[in-house]
Amino acid sequence: MSRTYVDIDGRSLPLSNLEKDLYPSYGFTKAAILEYYRRIAPFILPHLHDRALTLKRYPEGVEKEFFFEKRCPAHRPAWVRTAEVVHHDTEPMTMCVVYDLETLLWAVNLASLELHVPLARTDSPGTPDSLVFDLDPGDGAGIPECARVALILRDLLSPMGLVSYVKTSGQKGLHVLVPLNNKETTFEDTKTFSRAVAGIMQRHYPDLVTARMAKTERSEKVFINWSQNDPSKTMICVYSLRAREKPSVSFPLEWKELEDLDGHSDPERLQVVHSEAVRRAEEKGDLFRDVLVKKQKLPHL
Amino acid sequence: MAAQGIWNGTISFSLVAIPVRLVTAVMPGHVSFHLLHSKDYSRLARKMFCPVEERAVAPDEIIRGYEILPGKYITMTDEELESVSPERSRTIEIIEFIDMKDVDPIYFDHPYYLVPAKGGEKAYQLLVEVMGRTNKAGLAKFILAEREYLVAVTSKDGALALTTLHYSEEILPDGDLLPKKVSADPAEEARMEKSIKDMVADFDPGKYADGRRKKIRDLLDAKVKEHALVEAPAMAEKEEEGPADLVAALEESMRKVKESR
Repeated sequence: MSRTYVDIDGRSLPLSNLEKDLYPSYGFTKAAILEYYRRIAPFILPHLHDRALTLKRYPEGVEKEFFFEKRCPAHRPAWVRTAEVVHHDTEPMTMCVVYDLETLLWAVNLASLELHVPLARTDSPGTPDSLVFDLDPGDGAGIPECARVALILRDLLSPMGLVSYVKTSGQKGLHVLVPLNNKETTFEDTKTFSRAVAGIMQRHYPDLVTARMAKTERSEKVFINWSQNDPSKTMICVYSLRAREKPSVSFPLEWKELEDLDGHSDPERLQVVHSEAVRRAEEKGDLFRDVLVKKQKLPHL
Repeated sequence: MAAQGIWNGTISFSLVAIPVRLVTAVMPGHVSFHLLHSKDYSRLARKMFCPVEERAVAPDEIIRGYEILPGKYITMTDEELESVSPERSRTIEIIEFIDMKDVDPIYFDHPYYLVPAKGGEKAYQLLVEVMGRTNKAGLAKFILAEREYLVAVTSKDGALALTTLHYSEEILPDGDLLPKKVSADPAEEARMEKSIKDMVADFDPGKYADGRRKKIRDLLDAKVKEHALVEAPAMAEKEEEGPADLVAALEESMRKVKESR
């Protein structure tokens, strides 16, 4: 295995297999992936901060097998920070937490192309910082249908005093987030609320929306996956790469981009790939900054 | 209907490499049933259950253990298993040519066909023809779904057939099963020989069918005509709407959304 050592803040980080092409049909080597994460680090680090990281590793590239790794690998450098996380009342598990560039690059160097984090921080695992509507299109539907649903959600929540934000999942769907950032709202609250919203959406837009998990119900519709509002679930972190054919990114959008989509039906239209992600983030800053700080409370619970 | 390919690659030996697709040659005609809850006909799901904690266990909490002694395990990670899996390969490399009649049928595992892929048609035809004429089978190693198989490639009815073979270590020793040799009464031997001769026929598998399968099918056909179909309740009936206040507020908000659109 080829190794290259880089020095960051006086810490020596061994990087391996830099020339290995992990997106073979697109052509994107491990070196390019590390470079992407180095450039996007100022934007992604605040969103990884204080969150137990689940690694999704693709040692042989995106076309081969992957595995999830929740436990922080035992061979980690001493400076990698960790948190003890309890899943389903079992023994606590040691998980990695990314606070700095070197930990980010160390994790990515394990071919962890995708970075998944929970909606809650390690110090308050029962209270999510935001509520999420995971919009997952069924066969025959795509980002344009998700965009319609997202805009209705925004307009539905806004009169209730709730501001929402949207990002691509980096795969086929969109994620709508409602920041909470208070220590009173529990996952039980976010689940009850998101489930009620999904139910209402399905009732009023039965041809566009389903709130049901069953795959057969999803054809040509958008599944509002409310069940992501759960302490045991993780979501793809904003600015993380996705392991698709192309190195697409889970990227924040402006609502206007969704409004402007009107009529376009190209399912890849709002998709953002690595180079565009870096350029847009450096130009516009972090459109998801408010998701981390804006304090809101869910009404009528 | 074009058969679905389960693998694409090349078959090769010496300087020949022919692009081919692997398709299965048999389709077991099994009548399969779903398991339903007798109360409401919902389709049942399987879950892994921990008898100690008496709860279903999530996939990310499940690991593999090999039982060394009763109740004592060595655990094995996906990574470790992957490290000993063969590299995926896109070739069926013929190592040697053998006589198929030397192969005891006990070695035959699963039959497939190899069909020519684009650009390989001519070389494929040639290989089929020559292998058919010389009556030879190609013995090859083949990697499919992380497993390494020993296979025999033969010429059959103008196509290439591929049969996966058992490894010799998988064949159970038959020494203990063989009965002791006893001297037979010649008259008895002759009688038996005659009974066999009287019953000789050409092998015609079309004459036989799985009787039970046909009866199940007939029974299903009859029941479809006589009985109304049962169905699981729509999940919607079980969906909770949420607190009344919240639902009312959402309905009100939804009214405004629809007005403004």
